[in-house]
Parts: sequence; C-alpha cells; structure tokens
Amino acid sequence: MSIMSYNGSAIIAMAGKDCVGIAADRRLGIQLKTVSTDFTKTFQMQPKLFVGLAGLATDVQTLHNLLEFRMSLFKLREERDMPPEVVNNLLSTLLYEKRFGPYFVEPIVAGLDEDNKPFLSCMDLIGSSVKANDFVVSGTCTGNMFGMCEALYRPDLNPDELFEALAQSLLSSVDRDAMSGWGGVVHIITKDGVMTKELKGRMD
Amino acid sequence: MYIANYFIAQTSTVRSVRLRFDLLASVRIDNDPIGRCFLPLIRHIDVSFDPSMARRYDASTTTFSPEGRLHQVEYAIEAINNAGTCVGILAKDGIVMASERRITSGLLAPAKTSEKTYFLAKHAACNVAGLTADANILIDQARLRAGRYQYQYQEPIPMEQLVEYVCNYKQYFTQRGGLRPFGVAFLFAGYDEHYGFQLYQSDPSGNYSGWKATVIGANNQAGKTILKSDYQKQPEGEEKMADDDDESGSIPDVQGALRLAVKVLNKTMDGSGTTAAEKMELFTMALDDNGQVVTKILTKTETQAVISAVESESASSGES
Repeated sequence: MSIMSYNGSAIIAMAGKDCVGIAADRRLGIQLKTVSTDFTKTFQMQPKLFVGLAGLATDVQTLHNLLEFRMSLFKLREERDMPPEVVNNLLSTLLYEKRFGPYFVEPIVAGLDEDNKPFLSCMDLIGSSVKANDFVVSGTCTGNMFGMCEALYRPDLNPDELFEALAQSLLSSVDRDAMSGWGGVVHIITKDGVMTKELKGRMD
Repeated sequence: MYIANYFIAQTSTVRSVRLRFDLLASVRIDNDPIGRCFLPLIRHIDVSFDPSMARRYDASTTTFSPEGRLHQVEYAIEAINNAGTCVGILAKDGIVMASERRITSGLLAPAKTSEKTYFLAKHAACNVAGLTADANILIDQARLRAGRYQYQYQEPIPMEQLVEYVCNYKQYFTQRGGLRPFGVAFLFAGYDEHYGFQLYQSDPSGNYSGWKATVIGANNQAGKTILKSDYQKQPEGEEKMADDDDESGSIPDVQGALRLAVKVLNKTMDGSGTTAAEKMELFTMALDDNGQVVTKILTKTETQAVISAVESESASSGES
C-alpha cells in the first residue's frame, strides 16, 4: 500500500482559449472504506487561481492552510495578487524544504496570469514542477487520466467545450479506479469569473 | 582597572575628560598619547554639559530615574509628537481613521498605494505616527503573528490578542539593555466576532488601551479636545430623554465619523483649503451585507467630498 493512495484522489486541469479548468473527484477514503463524498481537493486561492492538491488528505489540508498563510502574507506585504507562476515556485520551495520528510501531496496550479493567459503546472511531492500548455493530472489514476485527456483534449476550447472535455475525462478515468470517484466538481476560470459545476457520476 | 557602566562629563575644553565610576571614584584622562589609550574603552559618552538629573539616568532604557521614570521611553514618545497626526474614531457601524500625509518635498515619488494605513490581516489595519522605519518592523511582526494565529486556529486573530502581541514586542525594548525603544505609536482598527469593532492606541512603552475616539501625532491635544465635545454630541434641539439610556444613539455612523475626523484634522494640520485632500488619507472599515469586513481607503475625489461637506457644515452652523 502506498501512502499516496491511502486516501485516493483524482485531479485534472486543462487550458482552453483564455480560460482554464480544474476538475477533481470528491472521495475521501481510508484505504478501501469510503468515508466522505464531499471532500474538497481544489481550493480557490485567488479570484483567478486554483490549486488542486492530490494525495494524503491530512497533507492536502495542511498544505492548503500553509499556502493560504504564505499567500496572504505576500498580499499584505506586496499589495498585489500572487501570479500563478509565483505560486508554483512557492509551492515548489515549500515542498522541497521537507525533502527528507515530505508532504505526501502532488499539487496542481491552474490559473490566469495578469494578461489572462492560462497557466498550468503540476509537481511531485518534493517540488519538482513542470509547466504545460494543454493539461496536467495528479492522483491515484494518472495513467487513466493521461489517456483520457490525450484523447479528448483539443487546443483553444471555449469554456463550455472545456467543461465537457474535463468532465468526461475525469469521470471515465475515475470509473476504472477504486480509490477515486464518488462524485466530481469542475471549476472553469475565465477573466469574468469562475463557473463551478458538480458532476453526477457513478457513486462507487 | 575594571571599567563598568560609567559616564563622562566634558570639561571646558576637549583636552581632558573626567570619568566617574558610579560616584565611587573619579579619574581624569588627558588628551596625551597614554591617556588617549583609554578612550576606546569608553562606552557611554554624554558630551553635553547638562546639569539636570535626567541626564544621568536617560542614556539607557534599563535604568529607572529616581523619580521612577524611564526617560528613553519618554523621549521616544516625544519623537512621535512631531509626526503626522492620526485620528481614529469608533463609529456605530464601523471604524474611521484619518491621517495627515506629510509631503516633505515635491520631488518625492508619489506613493503607489497608502502611506499611513497598513493592513495587518483581512480584519485588521493600523495607522502609524512616528519613525516609519521602526513601524515597518512592527507591522511585519504583526502580520506574521496574525498569519500564524490564523494558520494555527483557522480563525482570525482577535484584535486585542494582536495588539497585545505587538505591544509585548515593544516592551522588550524598554527592559533589555543596549536597545532603544521603537519611536512609533499605532492606531489599530479591527473587527472580531467576540467584541465587534475595536480601536486601540499603543505607544513606545508597550502600553495600549481601547478607545472610542483618539488622536496621535502632532497637536493631538487639540484634536482630543474636539473629540471630547463632538464625539457623543446630542442632536441639536433635542433634550436627552429620560428613558434614553442607549448612548449609542448619539454615536456617529461611519459617514458622520468621517466628517468628524476631517474636522479634527483641519484643526491639527497647518493650512487647509483645496490642497487639503492630498494631505489627508481617510480609511473606513465596516461590514458588508454578508457580515464580511470591508475596508476602504478613500480616493481623492471621495476625500474632497467629505472635506467639502465639513466646510459647508461649519459654514451653515456659523462657526468661524
């Protein structure tokens, strides 16, 4: 049993035309037992920025609180929002600080930068990050998610098309994974705001 | 020779200096090669010829004077009385803080955001009077404290906890040796769910107290006089009702408090008129419809509107 699959998770983020979307499952389990079906793994840190945290649930919550602390301190001192790339670098540094006793989380950063261009990145549990301009995935069924995204993704999707691509990719991926699923949520971020939709999927 | 805490008093010329070892012995060191060898050992040097008692006990914060005063702390408070004025007023439904922007030179680059108001957390802000450099240290400490509390308890820090922390930090510098006190006074404005809106004032000694309305900085006495009479004014023409024990009825709302704050600043600042809008910074804190704290630093236009309202108010009531 791997510590990264103790609680179970599945997160996908995709870029569209002047928009980004992030989708996550809702399951919180303790190994094979499902404990909650409304566990939040995606967090809106700023009006146009989401962070998705996949992995051990306690570290998901702790890292979220830590990130909240660091980002609010940044905002107070520098009197501006943190650009997505800077969030990515901060997360990377936070994770590497615990190089020999890491947080068991593999985060995803998804947002719009100051010019409202999409930004996507994901990293491993010790902070090695990689940027993408199409999609990023994280969780217990990354193999499934990579396959679905590769099949359904097209560049320059508008928000509604992006929602469809994200929702279908996520639902099909988690259906073949015992540790993730039990519902889903999708957030689409555009320069005008965030659209959030709950997904109705197989509750098993 | 063991040289402990000592003072030297300059004699008529710089040719020789007299050392006093805490009233026990007195040694004269001349300005010759041998005598000058002792000069690097001198640590506390008071080269002014001032016979007053304070002088002997004011060079170190760790020393009480015979009258039981800490002179360094008092001198720090003096430094603030030369700084730009700040007014804070607790309104019925929020808090107002107004401060004087001291523009020392037309060549100074314009401030990007605020010069006098600093945010410590989403629900707390402060105004500064005194040495800005000292204030920056304390503001950062306050921000860290508020952030850590929020991180630990997942709740916003109660206002008094935050103020007390900053003040305890300041107090350290009035008791440990070798360090001077911070030359800053703060007005803290904040909201928590336990006690609602609160206004606190703190000074270099590390003392703080909660206020309904107060002034710090230059001419604060004149400002306080106005507040004493105008803060809980009875509405004109009405008598105090026999059953009117709700004193909040006469406390101004945020808009009224803004006007009162401008009135106070007009009195404490030199000059007024059309340039006054640039020299004032107005800040308000209130709750929105969802019960969330919303803060605002007024724009120049909005500030001018308040100033104009105050001017017409004073003109219509016949005040000079």
